[in-house]
Amino acid sequence: MKKSKKVAVSKLEQKNYKWIYLFLLPSILIFLIFYLQPIITVFYTSLTKWDGFNKPVFIGFKNYITMFQNEAFQISLRNIILWSIIAATLHVGFGVLVAFILYQKPKGWKFTRAVFMVPNVISAAAWAMIYKFIFNDDMGILNNIIRKFNPDFHVQWFFSSPYAFWAVTITWLFYAVIVTLIVLNDLMAVPEELTEAAKVDGATGWQVITRIQLPLCRNAIGTGMICSITARVAMYEQIALTTAGGPGDDTMSLPIILVKSIQDMKYGYANANGVIMFILGLITLAVINKAFRMNESVY
Amino acid sequence: MDKAKKIGIKIFVYAVMIFTIIISIFPIIWVIMSAFKTNAQILSSPFSLPTHISFDAFAYIFEKYNFVQYFFNSAIICITATAASLIIFAMGGYVIAKFKFPGKNLIFALFTITLLVPGQSKAQPLFSLVMKLNLYDNIWGVALVYLSFGLAMSMFILKSTFMSIPKSLDEAASLEGANFFDIFWKINLPLAKSGLATAGILMFLNNWNEYFYASLLTSSDANRTLPLALQFFTEAFSYDYTKLFAALTVVVLPGIILYACAQEQVQASVAASGVKG
Repeated sequence: MKKSKKVAVSKLEQKNYKWIYLFLLPSILIFLIFYLQPIITVFYTSLTKWDGFNKPVFIGFKNYITMFQNEAFQISLRNIILWSIIAATLHVGFGVLVAFILYQKPKGWKFTRAVFMVPNVISAAAWAMIYKFIFNDDMGILNNIIRKFNPDFHVQWFFSSPYAFWAVTITWLFYAVIVTLIVLNDLMAVPEELTEAAKVDGATGWQVITRIQLPLCRNAIGTGMICSITARVAMYEQIALTTAGGPGDDTMSLPIILVKSIQDMKYGYANANGVIMFILGLITLAVINKAFRMNESVY
Repeated sequence: MDKAKKIGIKIFVYAVMIFTIIISIFPIIWVIMSAFKTNAQILSSPFSLPTHISFDAFAYIFEKYNFVQYFFNSAIICITATAASLIIFAMGGYVIAKFKFPGKNLIFALFTITLLVPGQSKAQPLFSLVMKLNLYDNIWGVALVYLSFGLAMSMFILKSTFMSIPKSLDEAASLEGANFFDIFWKINLPLAKSGLATAGILMFLNNWNEYFYASLLTSSDANRTLPLALQFFTEAFSYDYTKLFAALTVVVLPGIILYACAQEQVQASVAASGVKG
């Protein structure tokens, strides 16, 4: 009985190959047109001089050499490294802290969780704009609070060195809800017997957190780090709509350079930038994966 | 544990929670509140409540600017792109979840690996593609690029949704003579509602808030989306704060309302997609 059923199913599948590939075709087309083809183009043309109209001319690594000698690019790299470190420590740390607090289910934890998500459901462009106003010298909340104590205080946070870098950092620093949600999800899956057994053996609350819960959530924390670092590499709106990379090149980032190169018709150069973004993403993934041993099973 | 320590922990816990709540919603409340104040009030007393409720600024931005147009541009782009990609990814996720066929693992691996590609790094080829199709500065060009967003995430969510629908239902329907398409459309799709909603909401929110490609692929006022309009508003009313805040309110509210309606689902899906990603 069981056997005949199995045969019937596989026959059904045989007959259905036509249907199966037909169903897959649109997804495969999307993959080819919007992912594979662009990535190949980006890698290949990053080695060429290309304005989009004439044929790309192969120039070897010249784009990369120019890029690494360019000051705006050097500052972008420095910014990305600094932002990534801040993201991996303070940003992810705050997200994990909130997750552990919500896990205790204090009064209002569901409300806090729900509200924490709000900055993530509105557009990053709008959020950048809101922060531009918060840091505005005339009517911004921040300077008005400071002026309550020091009436002569005036700083244009987004437009003066060295504040601009930190003003951009503040726009995302504490908004770690993604980290909180995925860590909380893992935390809730930690078997209660484990924590109970540890407590019976005399472990303090702090030991339960550091010896059992944190290590068991390391996949979620690692995932959170990868997400937040790659978000720093690709950060665009928070810069384009506040400082546009200034003052000077203080808050420059790769996507800003990339867009400018496209507008200047320097396509080869733009794509060399894209390749660097791509590689930075891969490095992040590899490093965090290794550091958190994310491929090994936790339990 | 002694009492003082317990109280200390409690204070810390609530301090962090209150901090989280304030940084998350206070900026938005401030923006909405300011949209109802006069410019003078915004400058002189940024924290006070508005003295009277006036919708003048909203009326102004809707009258003088094509705000309705921006809204419809955003809505048309997001609804068509999300609906089309949801059907396409559902078809793909369905066959990957339920059938064995040559190349299945490779195809799924390729789809999910796209999660690692930073969206902006493909800017130039996608820009050129849209130019070639003659869709530059056209809302359909933007919709076309949005169609491709969320491939990896949707495949994760939809594959596991379809895997949880028992195969015996398909077999029974097949014995009754239903064809391949009917089994997908009439039996599996209705049962996959929750997964479809999860993937759909995430893709919609992402598209609704998208700025980078919208700004790269359009130039004229008639094709602007809501997030894009903001930048032009800052230029238009540089010191007319009431109108700027009104514009911000209009851009921000739809996302918040959608989230308020599907709150649990959005949170659960973020947690789930994160774990697999």
